[in-house]
Amino acid sequence: MSLTRRNFLAWAGLSAVGAVSCAIPRKEQELAIESPVRLPEDLVEGLDNWYATLCRQCPCAEGVLVRVMEGRAKKVQGNPVYPVNQGKQSVRCDGGLQALYHPHRLAGPMQRSGPRGSGQFQAISWDAALAALGQQLAANGSGMVLATEPLRAHLGLIAGRFAQAFGGKHLGFETLDQVTLRAALESVYQQPLLPDFDLAQANYLLSFGADFLSTWLSPTRYGQAYGQFRHGEGRKERGIHVQVEPRFSMTAANADRWIPIGPGWEGHLALSMAQVIISEGLQAPGVNINAITGGKGAAALEPFRPEAVAGKIGLPEGLLEGHSAADVIKELARDFAKHRPSLAVGGGSAGAHSNGLFNLKAIYALNYLVGSVGTAGGVKFNAGLPLNELPSNASVGSLADWKKVAADINSGATKLLMVHQADLAYGLPASVGMVQAFQREGLFIASFSTFLDETSAQADLILPDRVYLEDWGSDVPDPAPGYPVLGVQQPVVNPLSDYDPRSFGDVLLAVAQQQGKAANLPWATLRDALRESSDKLFALRRGSIRAGSADEFWRTMLQRGGWWDESAGIRNVAAPSAPAGLLAQIAGEAAAPVFSGPEAESFHLLPFSHNSLLDGRNSHLPWAQGAPDPVTTVTWQTWVELNEHKAKEMGLREGDVVKVESAAGSISGLTYLNPALPPDVVGIPLGQGRRHGSEYASGRLPEESSNVMDLLDGAQVQGSGGLAWAAARVRVTATGTSRRVSKFEGTSMAREIGETPGERIIHITSPSNSGGH
Amino acid sequence: MKLGRNMVPLALVGLGTSLILLVVVVVVGIAWYSNPPFGLGDAPPQPIAFPHTVHAGAPEQGGQGIQCEFCHRNVTKGAAATVPAVEQCLFCHQQVTGTTETARVEIAKVKASFENNTPIQWERVHRVPDHVRFVHEAHIRFFTEGETPETQLPVSQVCSVCHGDVAGMTVVAPKPGQSLKMGTCLDCHRQNNIPTDCTVCHQ
Repeated sequence: MSLTRRNFLAWAGLSAVGAVSCAIPRKEQELAIESPVRLPEDLVEGLDNWYATLCRQCPCAEGVLVRVMEGRAKKVQGNPVYPVNQGKQSVRCDGGLQALYHPHRLAGPMQRSGPRGSGQFQAISWDAALAALGQQLAANGSGMVLATEPLRAHLGLIAGRFAQAFGGKHLGFETLDQVTLRAALESVYQQPLLPDFDLAQANYLLSFGADFLSTWLSPTRYGQAYGQFRHGEGRKERGIHVQVEPRFSMTAANADRWIPIGPGWEGHLALSMAQVIISEGLQAPGVNINAITGGKGAAALEPFRPEAVAGKIGLPEGLLEGHSAADVIKELARDFAKHRPSLAVGGGSAGAHSNGLFNLKAIYALNYLVGSVGTAGGVKFNAGLPLNELPSNASVGSLADWKKVAADINSGATKLLMVHQADLAYGLPASVGMVQAFQREGLFIASFSTFLDETSAQADLILPDRVYLEDWGSDVPDPAPGYPVLGVQQPVVNPLSDYDPRSFGDVLLAVAQQQGKAANLPWATLRDALRESSDKLFALRRGSIRAGSADEFWRTMLQRGGWWDESAGIRNVAAPSAPAGLLAQIAGEAAAPVFSGPEAESFHLLPFSHNSLLDGRNSHLPWAQGAPDPVTTVTWQTWVELNEHKAKEMGLREGDVVKVESAAGSISGLTYLNPALPPDVVGIPLGQGRRHGSEYASGRLPEESSNVMDLLDGAQVQGSGGLAWAAARVRVTATGTSRRVSKFEGTSMAREIGETPGERIIHITSPSNSGGH
Repeated sequence: MKLGRNMVPLALVGLGTSLILLVVVVVVGIAWYSNPPFGLGDAPPQPIAFPHTVHAGAPEQGGQGIQCEFCHRNVTKGAAATVPAVEQCLFCHQQVTGTTETARVEIAKVKASFENNTPIQWERVHRVPDHVRFVHEAHIRFFTEGETPETQLPVSQVCSVCHGDVAGMTVVAPKPGQSLKMGTCLDCHRQNNIPTDCTVCHQ
């Protein structure tokens, strides 16, 4: 039979019928299911679940997705839809799993069994613990202080109302407080919320002391925006970044130009730049110089002429490359004014001097001159909160507030101190006298810490909180990304059977109920409060979630990790006009920085937040201890950064143990030679030197692990009451001993490729020197 | 009627096409109306007669009242419920050897499986296609930790929402009238205000 078209179709049809018929009765492997013989310890089916929640390893509360297999959290990574970090996460987030499975977690409630501060406790039941706390609240609730980390959203709301209901007060604690930054921003921009700095669209970024790529405010968000700033799609040219900071931070290491200014003189430099911009008429079109200078024009800033301030602000000779310091200031001002949109930000040590408030005000006022207030590539304002009752930052205390708490304890006005994630004994300078106040008879300390730390070691009662991966929660980001966001934290796993923690929020609500003080706290659990807010957001009928019912809205919100409303940002952004006479007023507040401690043969002390340990809150996590510092690559230790040449003059080598003394005390640390550090500055990271708690953090050799806060004498920033943590001078002396610095850098010899005879390397040649080939 | 010579191949093609269509209709029909797809019977014979009535049935009806999650130990923790390991059967059956001849024979098979290190190959009764991602744990959590009485059930009652009264079955069969197809899932999701986006279930 010849193969005609018809024959072909006929045979093909028959073949298909045959093939399908034969296939049907075949037993598919997928229809069988197998019982393994042995009982595996952990049945791993290879299927995972990912839950959206919030990371609580640092204050910026990034949105994360957690991979859960068989009820165990296995991995944490950034949530791609969460506006703050958009799928990225910081090194701190990765340590969250270690907090969850930590061998030194407190298993259940305990009461003190030894002398205060001995760290001796005995286990009690939750009923007994709650009864003891209730009894204290009934007797001593009035005047009580509830000290927490800076709480936002629902927990902030509950903590505030709880303290109010008992006649006490709620205070948030930040070791390196942002009180001065908030005061400066509110004063300059007249806005209650922290603004969003639009790094991504700026052309020129001038940062005074803000280590925004490492630990300042919202570093993951800034890091991502920085990528756009440098080489974002659609950019005509790469953004220019100048970092003005006395210490060579991670952000300074990324800058095009680093200007190691004398500590505390940042405000003078900013006003000097303003003087150049005004006197040379470089301000952005439409900027009303008369209004901002109170009608005086450049004359308002006459004392800040570059020639007048150049000698004070400590620009090192090596930086000038033959130019005068005044010329450098002028060049900086012209570049800043010409490369619009340009953005000036300030923070970190610039705001932590006696004149920190003046410094920050002067820095942020620069943005008015270049038209970068309320505009793209400049300072953008946050339109409002997702729900008005949810605070974005509940009552953060200044150093003055903490001094008052210590005084109230000493006077007997405060007899009950409740502490949650606020390590007052470790993070406050000794001069505040908090640890001494703890010894006062009649004081009852209740801690809600998940791990033992310096303050909970002093406690009478410990009611351990759940780790955030086991608990409900929420966040209103501060700073928000330019529009209202409510992040939602949900439990992704249950606590291991060995642990019996209870949610801090739930305990507060239960105790308020038990004591009949729940009039303003109508929720049985924190989850109920979250659900109520979800229903309110659903009723707004706007934002990122479109749902047909409140239930669907709630579940979608949990699925995505929160709710946000980008359109609110577009609708409500308003550029405030500069307060009349702002620059003249700031110039009137100018003051030279004042330092405490020895003057002769001494250094400026610049403590800084550790990249992974932060202020020490993560020091119990081996991951955070072992993650190398991005600049020095040091792990696990306290190092003292010294200028290389200065150290050689002093006969110091890397690893030499030095004693660092201030007016307040002394600590030890290992010398780290840093070629990029001004000779009159020492940098020491926070985070080590714990005396209590996890053995990863405490009980280490004092020369390897010490707390730099012991060097601070409690000086305050004028006008804000914040801690002037960069205002101490210290003396550094050798102790004669030496230890190896545990660092990654320089552990193997670097050599240039091609130096070894016979080593073959690829030569890249250009047409001009290769004869046109 | 006598077919012309030229008509024979045409008839063959017609016949072939009709057969293909018939087979397609039959295959799709079986897949649509049976569970599991390409169904091998509602209650397939199993290699070992395992009566859920005896193990999970209520004590007053002669059962042991064992909770579902005692044997299907992953059901509250992960995506798959999992069938228990043979070793787990022997937790009890080292001692419990059966009171009837049938029971003795069947329990002996379990012991033999353990001693010979041979896994038991059960016939799967419930199955969703590979492009569906069904997580037992999330569904159990929804029905046990909800806000209304309908969503605060004990785990065993949650199982029966989809699987029927397994504790009352001598041989496991799908829940009558429950196809475990997309319509079943959607009905339940809509009833409980759960999102019905494609990506909720499909990968």
